[in-house]
Amino acid sequence: MVVDRRETALEIAGKTPFAPEIGEAAGAPVRQSSLWRDAFRRYTRNKAAVASGVIFIGMCLYCLLIPGFWKIPGIWTSIFDIDPNDADFGQTYLSPSLEHPFGTDGFGRDLFTRTALGGQISIAIGFAATFAILVIGVTYGSISGFVGGRLDNAMMRFLDALYGLPYLPFAILTIQIVSDQGAVDFKTMVIALAIASWFTTARIVRGQIMTLKQNDYVRAAKAVGARWYRVLSRHLLPNTLGILIIAVFLELPGVVLGEAILSFVGLGINPPDASWGSMAQEGREAYRLHPIEIVIPGVAIATLVICANFIADGLRDALDPRTRET
Amino acid sequence: MAAFILRRVIWTIPVILLVILMTFGLMKNIGGNPFRKTDRAVTPQTQANLERKFNLDKPWYQQYALYVKGVFTFDFGPSLAQPGRDVNEYVKEQFPRSIKLGLLAFVWAILLGFPAGVIAALRPNSIVDYSVMFFSNIGFAVPSFLVATLLIYYFAVKIDLVPTSGWPLGFWSLDSRVLLPSFALGLLPMAYFARLVRGSMLETFQQDYVRTARAKGLRYRRIVGLHVLRNSLIPVVTAAGPLLGFLITGSFIIEYIFSIPGIGRGFVSGVQNRDYSVVMALTVLLSLVVIVANLVVDILYGFLDPRTRETGR
Repeated sequence: MVVDRRETALEIAGKTPFAPEIGEAAGAPVRQSSLWRDAFRRYTRNKAAVASGVIFIGMCLYCLLIPGFWKIPGIWTSIFDIDPNDADFGQTYLSPSLEHPFGTDGFGRDLFTRTALGGQISIAIGFAATFAILVIGVTYGSISGFVGGRLDNAMMRFLDALYGLPYLPFAILTIQIVSDQGAVDFKTMVIALAIASWFTTARIVRGQIMTLKQNDYVRAAKAVGARWYRVLSRHLLPNTLGILIIAVFLELPGVVLGEAILSFVGLGINPPDASWGSMAQEGREAYRLHPIEIVIPGVAIATLVICANFIADGLRDALDPRTRET
Repeated sequence: MAAFILRRVIWTIPVILLVILMTFGLMKNIGGNPFRKTDRAVTPQTQANLERKFNLDKPWYQQYALYVKGVFTFDFGPSLAQPGRDVNEYVKEQFPRSIKLGLLAFVWAILLGFPAGVIAALRPNSIVDYSVMFFSNIGFAVPSFLVATLLIYYFAVKIDLVPTSGWPLGFWSLDSRVLLPSFALGLLPMAYFARLVRGSMLETFQQDYVRTARAKGLRYRRIVGLHVLRNSLIPVVTAAGPLLGFLITGSFIIEYIFSIPGIGRGFVSGVQNRDYSVVMALTVLLSLVVIVANLVVDILYGFLDPRTRETGR
């Protein structure tokens, strides 16, 4: 801890007149450090967060590369030459082997590539819905926080009412509305999950904007004559970037779990389309004899969620070390 | 104190009305026709008659007003897709089962989660602490369907300790079938409680009055039992309300997997059959549960921590 503070202090000071043995000779140029570089250093100090980051990126790569974008012919070909949708009824319910690292499912499809394919959909839904949540949440939260007063009060009361709606029923109803004829696809899931989950982000953004509003630079900008949109876009929103990045990794697990649960019950992505939830639904049929079919997508989801949680913790420590808990 | 309670209660009424309005709006937008379940067409005259009978031909604000009146008199109207049955019947049947499941899960959560958190706090940074934290992380992350299926696989299929599905009907009857579902549902609250209790106790240990107590020479056990435990209960109580709400509304998956005839199933089939009354009634009831739970917790919090009474927030 002591070394840390001295190092940072040195970098800020820019020179080392009192302790030349530390590193640089007096007068030599010292590396400048920015908020992001400091944050990165603090982040890398947290081993769990680093490991989770590696695993997370590894999973994304696995889902991207293994099946390839085989739905777009001509652009990418699969690294392994196995088609995850290729049903081969002579090879159903195999145990893991060299040829099929996770075994096969009830239709004879290779589970290794199928998990990767399902991961594409699940993680893509996760990121897309999280992005949508950010858009809605930031808009609502910044309007509420920035305007303040009665509008803020009303908007927060409305949000309280929305909190009263139970999550799953709300998501199910929204899916029914957004989809026509009840056919659920990627776009429908993204919209429905985003609509059911944006409340927390809105609250966080509103809180942050209200705190930042008190700062002197905002007052100075207003005094010089800056209009509200400039104050928002130039000063307030960029400073919420840290919170937003953390919010991404906090909302992502919720959305992925939501998609999995909805697909598992049959109200989301349905087989034969692959997503981790629909794979779990298929696996449920045969769990007595071949439990690996439901274990694999479940473990994949669990890993993703745990990694996202650790990354969020690491980011929170890195970007705002004052609130670290002992 | 009375003013505080009154204020909190009065504030819930617009929230409830808003929730009913939103559910109403959602249902109206789903479309579909509850009177047409088979491919056999319903003649326009029959359709019009049915709509008139169920008040569906009135303008939406009138329907809404009628419905609100119904909610406050606990009359949710007849089921649309199942002629002759009242929604109240449905709800009276299914709701208590979900409540029983939720309460049992809550019991599990307190039974295992609370002591785990306390032990972890008493030995911070030890192997016990790390394992409690590790298991609580897993409890958060693993999807409930996986936990439930693995539990069934191991306890019901492999070692045949309990039957694989089924649920003792009747609110006060319990048998071995309640063990697995309530444990599976209680896993997440268990993890949550363990974390919460541990964090809250660790924070209380830092407080000045604890240091004073030790300086006075009180025995460690007395300090922990009397002062620390009681004061760390406050955040736990605050969390218990929404948690109870979550338990009752989040039992869908467990009910689905263990074939428990509760509101989860009723809701899903209501949506699939476009049975407006059932869906609305269940959604409104679930929201009421959550809102009432939050209200109770707020009031309880006002008792425990008098500072919150002034602002009324």
